[in-house]
Amino acid sequence: MHNAEGKIFQPYGAELLGPLIGSCQNGETLKLDVRALSPLLIPLKPLRDGTPIIAIDVSSIRLGETETGILCAIRGTIVSNKNRRYRYLRIGPFPFHLTEENKKEILIPLEQDSSTQPRALTLQETPGHLCNIIERWIQMGVSCSASGSVILWDGSLAAGTAGDPINVVSQILKTARENSNSVSSFAKATNIRFLGKRITDLVLRHKPPCLFEVEDLPLSISKTANLLGKIHVAKLSAGGYPFRVDIDRALDCEDRIMAVQRLLGNELIFQGYPETLRLAHIFSTFTANDVIGIQRFITQKYGLKVIMRPSIRKTLFGPFGTGYED
Amino acid sequence: MRLFKKAGNTIHILSFPGEDVAKGGYLIIEDHKAEKAMISQVIDIQFANVPGVMEELLREPGSEDSIQGEEIDPLDIMSQILYIQDARLLVCKIYGTIEDGKLRLENSWLPSRAHSTIRKLPTEALIKLAGITKGFPINLGETQETSPIIIDACELDGKLNIVTGKKGTGKSHLSKLLVLGLVEHGATVAVLDLNGEYTNLGLTPDGDKNEYYDHIRVLAPGKNFKVTLAHASLYVVMRILTYAMELPGTSSREFRHIWRFLDEQNMLTLHELGEAIKRWQCNQHVKDAMFSRYYTLAHSNFFTDNMAEAVDFETLLRKTDVNGGGAVVINLSDTSPSDRQIVVEYVLAKLQESLSQWRIRAVFLFAEEAHLYLRETYWDDIVTRMRHFGVFTTFITNQPDTIRENIYRQADNVFLFNFINERDLEIIARAAKVDAETAISIVRDLPPHHCLALGRVVNDFPIVVKVRPLNIRTMGQTRLFFTEKRTNKIVG
Repeated sequence: MHNAEGKIFQPYGAELLGPLIGSCQNGETLKLDVRALSPLLIPLKPLRDGTPIIAIDVSSIRLGETETGILCAIRGTIVSNKNRRYRYLRIGPFPFHLTEENKKEILIPLEQDSSTQPRALTLQETPGHLCNIIERWIQMGVSCSASGSVILWDGSLAAGTAGDPINVVSQILKTARENSNSVSSFAKATNIRFLGKRITDLVLRHKPPCLFEVEDLPLSISKTANLLGKIHVAKLSAGGYPFRVDIDRALDCEDRIMAVQRLLGNELIFQGYPETLRLAHIFSTFTANDVIGIQRFITQKYGLKVIMRPSIRKTLFGPFGTGYED
Repeated sequence: MRLFKKAGNTIHILSFPGEDVAKGGYLIIEDHKAEKAMISQVIDIQFANVPGVMEELLREPGSEDSIQGEEIDPLDIMSQILYIQDARLLVCKIYGTIEDGKLRLENSWLPSRAHSTIRKLPTEALIKLAGITKGFPINLGETQETSPIIIDACELDGKLNIVTGKKGTGKSHLSKLLVLGLVEHGATVAVLDLNGEYTNLGLTPDGDKNEYYDHIRVLAPGKNFKVTLAHASLYVVMRILTYAMELPGTSSREFRHIWRFLDEQNMLTLHELGEAIKRWQCNQHVKDAMFSRYYTLAHSNFFTDNMAEAVDFETLLRKTDVNGGGAVVINLSDTSPSDRQIVVEYVLAKLQESLSQWRIRAVFLFAEEAHLYLRETYWDDIVTRMRHFGVFTTFITNQPDTIRENIYRQADNVFLFNFINERDLEIIARAAKVDAETAISIVRDLPPHHCLALGRVVNDFPIVVKVRPLNIRTMGQTRLFFTEKRTNKIVG
């Protein structure tokens, strides 16, 4: 952040701010007789054995820009649930000033895999990449320190993209297994389709709780994606939503099912989603109040001069000019 | 503090934790470039509408929540986030502008958001600036910053004042303070004391004589306050008969004839009056009407033929004036409602008569819960005609709707104590000498013994006053059944 000292700072309006990670798109679906897929369905029985549930989530937010770069902040949260007693550890927020000049300097020391090439990233991609690095760093910490737990991540267990090097994610999962943990990830949205139908729609008519192993089906997933988890669709509660759930591929089938059953038995499932993961998301997310507070902090601490550049979008399109300035 | 918004005479200021500003306090907004400063009063303190606060509060675990946790925040950014959460919006009313060191009642200019500095204006400084304390000081008590607030008795002179607030907030206490303040400066004060609260103004809390003792005269109608018909005069008695006893016109005419007859014969006594009515040749209905009023007068015990026990009210007021001022307290607490009207009518008519003939200078009249004894037409009379004669009234009431809106409008000074009832607040807001928002917002939160002083006494700068205690024996406290002893349960 020190490289931002005394610079001109154009803060983003708190109400326009959104997370850096994009959302999924909806698509047309085809009619499919889901009854034909019933043999792939695994009914679940909750296993209440006191297994701790630990969830991790990391959020990032753009705070504004300077003449030379982007200001963003990242915050991570770990929430644990042992016998329905929830505790959280919130790490951050950490503000960053990312420029073309310093992005390498910031990213390389944080990378757990030195083979990644941060120079290949655009400045706009850098905050997301940084967010992934910090998320993996927290996940590694949890995998090392927890034992006999069900660890929940947000998103998927796919790796191989910038910030998610396959060997780093594999190492985290390996460490987790060595400590008798099982890692699963819950994706709030998925684009994976089977015969044009979103995979989460396949279990809509099935009685919960159930798990549906879909990986052997011909899915619309990129063959280049390094899937470190087996893809499932889980419908965990009546009236709840089905979710794509990736479970550590290195676990055998029985352990994978056991992991979900332990989650069912030891966790509060609200609308089909684990409460621990929901809390992790809530605690890490930046509110508009957070953004104003962080903007104030960096303005005071680093002597930034706040300016409000005229919005080209607003100038051109009036009330129809929404979204970030490009 | 930062200037946020101005609309009309309302100004919104952002304030942050640590900038301790109280409702009712004054701020000065100094625009150094414009070389002007704006004076505004904080009438409400709200949370600033910071986006995202709802989400922030919802996710913060409360003490009773099952979720607990800790923060690793090496940069201590959370303190900034909490600081923003506690940001406040001060709603202020503009009361004037200082330019070239002079105070002007102007609020049309707009101070700069970027270059203005905002700071608290101590009420003490405002009092000095507005010239509130002058020649004849009456110490009311303290301001919110505990500096003394001293008003000028001249601002009560020739003025109409109202003291109002809900029960038990200290209205009568302030009235006593004003009475004694006026007495100190040699004024003549008449108090229509409905509940006998002013009877001990001359005594200390221990029952000893205080410094006012020689200047306080308590008159109890029917006991030490009796008058003769000769002292009363036809004008006064006719007013009693007409307004307090509703004697019809024809009967009034006959009564006047009887009075003049007795006066010519030098036989103007209560006994002779009864005899004369009995003997008078007139219509029987008229005679009956006069008789019934005569009996009411005779049985009120307020009139007497015994000169030794009679009080010449006018002489008493004149003596009070000559002897350096004092308060004549008319204790109406043991007087029946019908007799009360006779006494009040007598006092007011006598005052008007004496003042109109310049036999006394001026009288400050304090009337507690006046709606219980003042006839409808008297209100306008008091605030318009009698004021010119030299009766300067202070109405004290806990029912603001008993005072008509036009009376409020003509009031020069209003002392508002706490009100919670929406209807009461609405009434005072409509009528008080300040904008409705200020009155409602400040008065609603006033603690007991605090009032909002409005009008001439504070040079039209509303000031919250903590009324000082008095060295007198209190009588205005409500009598209670459950005293400490009585609360012991009867066992067995």
